[in-house]
Formats: sequence, structure tokens, C-alpha cells
Amino acid sequence: MRSEVSHKSAIKIQDYEPIVGKNIIEELRMLADKLSGKVIQNVNSTFSGGGVAEILARMVPLLNQLGVDTRWDIIQGTEEFFEVTKKFHNALHGANEKLTAADFDLFREVSQKNIGDFKSYGDFNLIHDPQPVALIARKKELGGKWVWRCHIDISNPDKKVWQYLRDFVFQYDAAVFSSPNFAQQLPIRQLLIPPSIDPLSDKNKELTSETIDAVLHKYNLDKDKPMVIQISRFDYLKDPVGVIQAFEIVRKSIECQLILAGGTATDDPECEEVLEKVRERAAGNPDIHVLLIPPGSDIEINALQRAAAVVIQKSIKEGFGLTISEALWKSKPVVASAVGGIPLQVKNKLTGLLCHSIEGAAFDLRQILSNPDYARWLGDNGREHVRQNFLITRHLKDYLLLFLSLDYTSDLIYL
Amino acid sequence: MIGWLTENWLPIAVPVVIFLAFSIVALWVRGIIYKTLERHLNKARWQGSQFIIQTTKTPFFHWWLILGAFVAIEVSVLPLPAKVLAARILGSLLVISLTWILINLTEKLLRFYMGKLEIPSSSTTLAVNAVRIAVVVVGVLILLDIWGAPTTPIILMLATVILVAVLAARNVLLDVFSGFELMRGELFTVGDYVKLDSGEEGYIEDIAWTKTRIKALSDNIIVVPNGKFTQATITNYGRPLKKATKPFHFYTRLHLKELTGLKASNLAELAQILGEVPDSVVYYHTHHFLEEHQYLTPEPANDFALWVDDSIGDKALAEKLASIDIFEFPNIEVLRTRIISVINEYLLTNPNSRVAPEGMEFHFIKSTSVILPTAYVANDLREFIQVLRGITIDSLYFHVFESRLRLQKGTNDFSTWLQECLGEDDLANKIAKLDPYNYTLEGLRSAIIQLIEKRIK
Repeated sequence: MRSEVSHKSAIKIQDYEPIVGKNIIEELRMLADKLSGKVIQNVNSTFSGGGVAEILARMVPLLNQLGVDTRWDIIQGTEEFFEVTKKFHNALHGANEKLTAADFDLFREVSQKNIGDFKSYGDFNLIHDPQPVALIARKKELGGKWVWRCHIDISNPDKKVWQYLRDFVFQYDAAVFSSPNFAQQLPIRQLLIPPSIDPLSDKNKELTSETIDAVLHKYNLDKDKPMVIQISRFDYLKDPVGVIQAFEIVRKSIECQLILAGGTATDDPECEEVLEKVRERAAGNPDIHVLLIPPGSDIEINALQRAAAVVIQKSIKEGFGLTISEALWKSKPVVASAVGGIPLQVKNKLTGLLCHSIEGAAFDLRQILSNPDYARWLGDNGREHVRQNFLITRHLKDYLLLFLSLDYTSDLIYL
Repeated sequence: MIGWLTENWLPIAVPVVIFLAFSIVALWVRGIIYKTLERHLNKARWQGSQFIIQTTKTPFFHWWLILGAFVAIEVSVLPLPAKVLAARILGSLLVISLTWILINLTEKLLRFYMGKLEIPSSSTTLAVNAVRIAVVVVGVLILLDIWGAPTTPIILMLATVILVAVLAARNVLLDVFSGFELMRGELFTVGDYVKLDSGEEGYIEDIAWTKTRIKALSDNIIVVPNGKFTQATITNYGRPLKKATKPFHFYTRLHLKELTGLKASNLAELAQILGEVPDSVVYYHTHHFLEEHQYLTPEPANDFALWVDDSIGDKALAEKLASIDIFEFPNIEVLRTRIISVINEYLLTNPNSRVAPEGMEFHFIKSTSVILPTAYVANDLREFIQVLRGITIDSLYFHVFESRLRLQKGTNDFSTWLQECLGEDDLANKIAKLDPYNYTLEGLRSAIIQLIEKRIK
């Protein structure tokens, strides 16, 4: 078990005041005051890499700045253990993973070691995802409130894995999900806390036109031709070929270019295969640009999103899909499939357009590209929607409320 | 000696007679002039007239004597250099006397009027000294001129110094002149509540020469240069307003979304589950849009209408559900019954409605409200507006929406307080009649503030 207490951050809580307003920060301070003297202990499996570590790295320092003693620990595990938990992860998503009795034994064995090593100092224990879920075994002995923060979609899980894990989950005081359609009926309280973006991060902060132009120049993109952009990993579930088909329909009547930008996962050979197919499909069309972006190129992604006329996310299956909030925060009109957490971010015809097919996506793209005023209206609404619902300050507020509400059962809580 | 007098009696007698004649005429003229002057000034009822009469009556006689002496010397047989010397001496005496009288007179007038304006004595002394210096400088310049000294370089130097000083202190001068204007009390007086277009507002606590002190409702003191008042648009709300019998304490309400795990994929399921879930679920799906999309106007549809439109694709039913006016309902139970009856009535004539595609089911979510007191309190309408401008939309939402429907108070908290603690029945009714669902939350805030501002103007 390794610990990290983070108070230091280049970004201060007051830096968010110009973005969300002074009274929102005041509200956070007021809530934080109510948790004075309490300790929040986060546990996950890594300090770096992946969305959970990324959000904890930002939230833990901010909570500490607000005066809430927040710590972060990780469990220890072997490479084999994390291979098993990756299988668990895929199986919970509904994938058909072959898990053997030895896999379950290994999970049990490593979990037992972590349970023994677990040093609890938290009044609230926030356990992230399935890897450390077994730590709940110490609940009776240690006391405190225990919350399982599930960042993945378990609405349609592999039964064998879920039956094994649910025995741990049911012992928690509450579970937290990112989207209503990620959850299922549980005998414990389930709270909805969507993830968030950080408006001050490299991926979302304001950029100068020189920076944007430099990125466009680097990738040889014509800044004067309207850009339709999808930014995501090259994966069948993101349907990049479907995006090309929709673009080809649009291109017949509207002068524009398509940018498919993303990376490949080193541990997923399928990504290379998808990238190859996309390149084949795009070959010979000078208006389609397939860009392989190296990991950590946040400024470049930011610049591409800001240069876009419209951002598309035509996923077949999606997690929460925070790239949508990133695009909306940049006031970009969005066309996206109504899957995963996307409908929470895109309210059809208000903050973007939802589609269900290639033809629907093409129709929506045409609507936006042909009507700049409508595109601007959608983009402006989208930015306000994100300001109020998907920024890190709202995320902090939800966590503070979660901890404050754990001692109550009523729907109306007076503090 | 007698012989010399016998020979020269006439050149001596004539100037003496002229001087004596001027003295007698001076007494007579002074009597007439001052009687006439007193009569006219009394008619005008100008309080400063007494100072003029008292200060100038004796010197007036002296000036005639100087005039008499000057004429006498001019008609005398004295040699020209002696005459010139005498004229310079007499001219100097006249200038010194006039300077002295002018200083006395302006000092009395300044002290009289500045006393009436309740200007601090330090400021009055400053003004008197400034006038003394100015008059003495002018007097000295005239004396130097009389005695033939070169005054042009001195005047130029003085003019340059004054010009530089005026340029350097133009803002101060603007403040001082504006201070005179403010002290007249036509714009506002101490104790009034004012608001500047630049945002500063509070009770006028003190009007000084160059600055005015405003005490804000937060007890902070705002010091505003007087010149700013001549350039700004000022709203004067007048004297303090009636205090409420009990202060209004502002609360705020934050909410957590709790998943029930229940979901509907068709209209029959929607109506059935809607009949079973707690009030907090109905409340969430008819209100969360207001908060999450509070920048959109007018009244956004409830979640049921949006889902029927987007996922079931039934625009007619969606329209019927969207047109349910939540403001009509006194509590959630009645609202729930109405929504269910609209769906069920529709199902009677359209039993084969579509099923939502996978992933587009309606998820029932519960709203858990966390209610906290804020530090904001209002004792009168002005304080109320001030706080209302600054509170979060969550606080506004709590006092208007949550109190009326979820806490079943029948009306919003603001109207209750206005009626019960301030006796403002008319204003309370006007706010209660505002349909809050027709506004964005910011629009609602503005509408309430406008109603109250209209009342206190």
C-alpha cells in the first residue's frame, strides 16, 4: 500500500472564480467547512495513467485547498493481478472474457495481502473501481463510511464476474456511478456523479491563434476549409469508418474536410487493425486526414478541437465520453451518437445533435455546416451546459455533498 | 512766519478748504449711501448684507479723506516730485485699506456660509487662508505697480505657477467644486441611500470637500471622490426603509442525484413506475432541467416530455406532457397524478406505442436536497435586493421552487416574509403571481428585483 497526500498544485481553487463565479467557490468553501476535521481516503490501483488517476490528481489537491483532509492510496499488485483485473473490467463492460478459477484465486490472494496492509485513517473511504473493491472486508473492524466509486458501465456485466464482485459491492454504504445507464438495481444507495473536465488543464485551457495555427500547420491542415473532427482512439466501437461514410455524404454538397485524430493502445492489437482499415478507406480522398496523435499531446488535441467547425463522436458504444464536454466547453457544435454518457452531455437540439445512424449523422453535419447561426447557438448553449454541469467544481461539490449526506436517509437534509 | 503766511495764505487755504470740504461731504454722502444700501439689502433679505455694511462703513470715510487729500495736494503749489510722492503714498494707503477690508469681508462671508453648510472648521480655515493669500498677492502687485517696480515678470511667474497648480490639481479642483454642489444637498443629503451606476451603493455618511463616504450594507466604508458624482448616474433611494419584524435568512439548497435503478422502456412502464416512486423522483424529473439548463428560456420541458419525444418519438404526447403547467399544482402528488393520467389517456387511444431503443430507456432518478444556511440576512427591502443580487441560483431556487412545491408551503419564501414581516401585501402578491417556470433563474432574479425596486423608488 502506498500513500500520497497532495496539497500542492499549480492551480488554486480561486483560479476557477473567473470561470464559474465567486459564489460557487464560496459554496464549496461552505460545504468544505462542514467536513472540517474529517479525513477522506481514496484508494485505487495507480497514481498515474488512466482517467481515475487523472481526476484524482486534480481533485485531491483542490479538496485539501478547501480544507478537507483528503488522501490517496494505491493497492499493490503483480502484473498478473492487473491482467486479471483488466479481464474483470472488460467482463463488467459485457465483453466475453475467459476467466479461470486460477484468476479468481489470484485476485483473492492479492486482495487478501492488500486487505492486511490497508492502513485506514479515513472517516470516509472512497474505493475506486473493481481492483481494490475487496478492501471492504475491513469495514466492520475499522468503521467509517465506505463508498464504491464505479467509473465503468456495469449495466450489462458478465454474470460470473458480477456475481463474484457484487458480494463485495453490497457491503458498501453507497455506490457512485457516472451515468444512469451504467448502473443497475442494487440493495445499497446509488448516487449519480458524472465525471468532469478541468477548464484550466492543457486539454481545455484557452489557446492563442498562433498555437492553433502552428498545430494545423504541423499536420498540414487547411485552416480555411471547415473541419469536421472526431478525436478518439482507433477502435471499432468509435466507428471511424462510419464517420468517413457520413462525411462522404456531406462532402457531396458542402466544401469541408474530415480529421480523424487519435492514438492506438499498445496493449490492443485491434487498434492497429482499425487504423489500417481507416487509412485504406480514406486513401485517395485529399479531404480526409487521419492523424496518429502521440499520448500526452493535450495541447494539440485542444488546438484541433478549437479549429473545428463541428465535432463528431459517432461511437457505437461509449463510456462517459468526456471528449464531448471538452468540445462543448470550446463552444463547438457537436454531433454524437446517443450512447453511454453522451445523452447527459448532449441534449438533442439544445446543446448539440444526437444521431443514431450514418445517414442521421450526415444530416446533422449538414444542418450545422450550412447554418452558422444555429451552430453558434448550439455551441454557446453547450458551453453553458458544461459550465454548470461538467466542470471540476461541480464534481468537487458532488463529492462534498456525498460525504455530508452519508449519515442521512431522508430526501431532505438540513445541515 | 506771520509774514510768510500773509503772503501765501491763498495756496495754503485752498487745499485745506478742499480737504475739509471733502471730509464734510464724505460724512453726508456716507449717510445717504448707507441708508439707501441698508434699505435695499433689507428688502433683499440677504444675510450677508450686514457684513458688508459693518465692514465698509468706517473705511468708506477713510477713502473719502484719502481722495480729499489727493485733490488738495493736486491743487496745491507743491513741486511736482512732492506731488508724485504724495500721490503714491495716498494710493498705497488706499490699496492697503481696500486689501484689508476685502480680506475681512470675504472671511466673514466664507465663515458664515460654510458654517451654514456644516463644513468642518479645518476646511473653512483652509478656504479663508487661500482667499487671504490671493487678495494680499493682488494688493502687493498693485503696490509694486504704484511704486514703479516691474510687475510683469512677477505676474507671468505667478500665472505660470497657478496654471501648473491648476493642471496638477484639476481632479482635486473638480472634487472641490463638486463638493460645493453636493453640500447644497440637492442631489442627496447625509443619511440617504444612493446607488451609482458603477455599482457602489450604501448610505451617505459624510460629504467632505473632496470626498464622500458611503456606508455599504456590508458595513464597509466606500470613499468616493466628489467629482465622480458629477459624472455618474446616481439613484437616490432616500431615507432608510421600514425594518422587518424578523430578518430574512437566506438558505441555499444543493442536490445530489440518486439512482433508483428503475427504468422504463415504454409508456405503460413509465406510467406504472411513476405511480410507485417517491415524490423526490417526480420532483427531480419535473425540475432538474430548470437548474441544469437554466440558461435556456422559456420554460423547458420536463424529462418525461423530452424522453417521449427523443426516445419514443411521439411528438403529440410529448407536447401534451410538456404543456403541463407545474405552477398550477400545489403539491407533487397532484402533479404526479396529472402526468400519469395524461399518459394513460393517451395509451387508451394509442395502445401500441413504440419501445425506446436499447440504451435510451427512461432512468428514474431521485433528488436529494441538502439545505444549508448562508451568511446572508436582510432586514429591509433594500438589504433584500442587495443580497438577492449576490446569492447563488441554488439559493434562489430553494426559496422559490423548492419551498412552494416540495416543502408544500403554498407560496415562495420571499412572499411569505414580505407579507408577514414587512406588511408588504401588494408586493408579496406580485412576486407570488410570477410564474417562475416561465423564466430562466437569472431572469427570475431580475424580475423580483425589478418589482422591489419599483416599490421602494
